[in-house]
Amino acid sequence: MARLDENLSKQNKVKAIEEMIQIVLLRIPKEVEAMHFYKKAAEKSTTKEAQELFLSLAQQEKGHEAELRRILQDLKEELKNIKGDLS
Amino acid sequence: MKREDVRNYNGEDGKPAYIIYDGKVYDVTESRLWKKGKHMGRHKAGEDMTSFISMAPHDARVLEKVKYVCDLEDDELVEEKNEKLRAFYRKYHPHPIFIHYPMGILYFGAFMLLLWILTGNKSFELSSYYGLIAGTLSVYPAILSGLLSWYINYEKTLTVIFKNKLIFSGLLVVISTIISVLRIFLGDMLFESNLYYLYIIGYFLTIPVMTFIAYNGGRITWPD
Ligand code: HEM
Repeated sequence: MARLDENLSKQNKVKAIEEMIQIVLLRIPKEVEAMHFYKKAAEKSTTKEAQELFLSLAQQEKGHEAELRRILQDLKEELKNIKGDLS
Repeated sequence: MKREDVRNYNGEDGKPAYIIYDGKVYDVTESRLWKKGKHMGRHKAGEDMTSFISMAPHDARVLEKVKYVCDLEDDELVEEKNEKLRAFYRKYHPHPIFIHYPMGILYFGAFMLLLWILTGNKSFELSSYYGLIAGTLSVYPAILSGLLSWYINYEKTLTVIFKNKLIFSGLLVVISTIISVLRIFLGDMLFESNLYYLYIIGYFLTIPVMTFIAYNGGRITWPD
């Protein structure tokens, strides 16, 4: 019985991680798109200040993307481990 | 050093800890902020930190305090290759283009079929037949371009949304192909046999199946 409960809570955990994976995954292209936009805006800027601002915003989006990819990787790893335990 | 060589210097098991920043390799073994190759519980030695700098509470000048090892040998990053593919996809966005064909044509065809059933006018049946053929053929580019985007932009990660899209796309192919074959090879004989019901049901079934795929597509572009 204890084993069953344990498996059940693990299944809930699997579900929660899978949901989280989807949330993070769908956000990544948005960050890429935002970075692309700021880079373009920087290229088209007419003043140095605007260009610097847009480049720094582009850098931030790159950071978000990298961070999300790292989180995604960790989540996938965690999911693999839990699923390995279940079977 | 090459990127894969740096990966071994992860600071674990007494190994030195190296990191990459902007094409250069640095030794952070001595840094108390990189104990056992771990930094702030989220970064690992052996990896490229370039993209993360904007998320850090410090700027790149911190690297002046650690030992520079060497420049990274030129390599084409997998990430760079992916970025090229993503740029290609962004520029031509084939999926949102191709999906309009099956969506438009099959809806139109089903509507013609309905008019034929209601009025008995054979021209409507012929229109629905042509709609079916064109619609069925146009499902393929829609699916292939969807797979392409899934591959390029989502690294083939299988989530509920993508499972839905894949399963129901398979179903759509099966249904639309079967009823096309029935209509092409049986012609008017179809309407005198019991397969007629299969044809009608199959045809109308393509609509909710396709709409469900499209709905799941919208969830990708506009996540809630
Ligand atoms: C006949 C089959 C399909 C139809 C009718 C369809 C329809 C749609 C629709 C309506 C959208 C939203 C488009 C927008 O943002 O304006 C979408 C997006 C998307 N679909 Fe599909 N889809 C189909 C098959 C597939 C398949 C098989 C895959 C791959 C697993 C796929 C992957 C995607 C992706 C990744 C997106 C996000 C937008 C993009 O990356 O271009 N689709 N789809």
